[in-house]
Amino acid sequence: MTLPPRRWSPSVVVLHWINAALIIGLLAVGWLMTHAVFGAAATFNLYQWHKSLGFSALALTALRIAARLRRPAPDSVPGWEGRPARAVQTAFYVLTLIAIGAGWLVVSTSPLPIPTRFFGLFVIPNVAAPDVALFGWTALAHRLAAYAMAALVALHILGALKHHWINRDDVLTRILPRWANNWAIRKVSP
Amino acid sequence: MIPLKHSLLITVAAAAASFPFASGPAPAAGAANWRIDPARTEIAFAIDAVGFPRTQGRFDAFEGRIAIDFDRPEKSSVAFHVRAGSVDVGSTSFGDYLRSPAFLDANRHPSIDFVSTSVEKLSDRAVRVSGELTLLGVTKPLTVEVAVERPPGGKERFEFRAQTRIDRLEFGMNSGFPLVSRDVDLTIRSEAAEL
Repeated sequence: MTLPPRRWSPSVVVLHWINAALIIGLLAVGWLMTHAVFGAAATFNLYQWHKSLGFSALALTALRIAARLRRPAPDSVPGWEGRPARAVQTAFYVLTLIAIGAGWLVVSTSPLPIPTRFFGLFVIPNVAAPDVALFGWTALAHRLAAYAMAALVALHILGALKHHWINRDDVLTRILPRWANNWAIRKVSP
Repeated sequence: MIPLKHSLLITVAAAAASFPFASGPAPAAGAANWRIDPARTEIAFAIDAVGFPRTQGRFDAFEGRIAIDFDRPEKSSVAFHVRAGSVDVGSTSFGDYLRSPAFLDANRHPSIDFVSTSVEKLSDRAVRVSGELTLLGVTKPLTVEVAVERPPGGKERFEFRAQTRIDRLEFGMNSGFPLVSRDVDLTIRSEAAEL
């Protein structure tokens, strides 16, 4: 069994936090744009942002999965204790693909096809033709995946905090950027 | 934004001033000619959609002329020409989408026109204007009641206000129906000054 390093490599740390920002941003923008918080113009812009962020997250996830397959990472928590953590981590990959895949289908099958302009740069093609029935199902799947993702984020954070404050191990600090890492270690050490 | 809007207003004012009778029926001999004041004119629309806030917007570029015959109101006439591409909803990407073939198809149909066919006086402060609205190249009859008011002030000015609702499907604008409502509310507020 490979033991995890004392710190994840900088690339792993950076990718983790970019991915975290993307997922939390997607959940926040997704909620705001579907709950009539703003007017029509801002809501339209939020949809475009949500779609652009979603495709960014898809690209990043594909990259991370490829990296994982090429060189399997050591478990963050070894043994049976780490099972819930590994389940949550695997679920993140699977759910990200399901959520974004469903989102792409929502955009494609919408009875009102609005071109996806990736940060205003170029149009991302649709993967299906407009289809009201399929639109309804994929929209439901997308929403469920988003709520499941929000639950996973909560579990992931709770797990990390449990390791930090209850187990008092370095599971959390290993993934923190160096400046935050030093701060967290000082806070915990007597 | 300000210089663009300014230049638009100048363009519209110039267009309105140079070609006050560009189209539409010629005014009767007794009719006085009025030019709409672009700075005090608003051509606005609103449309509802399921799961999306009510979209409200306006058109920034238009020209229009009004001929009023006080002795024989039925001889009066009005014509408005609105540039479809000037749609403004407060978001460039949203505006671009509305200009696309999905909705206004502004490249193929650059102008939205209303030309009156008859005017009927209802009271001192209201007239009924019947005419034809051309949108996406489709012409349909449209009748609107127009409230007419004379704002306080020395100059000869008239204020017009009209509200109506059109069925966009009648003009072949089918995108997004039924998620996007077929009804489009139009509000026109204008002030005209005698030429």
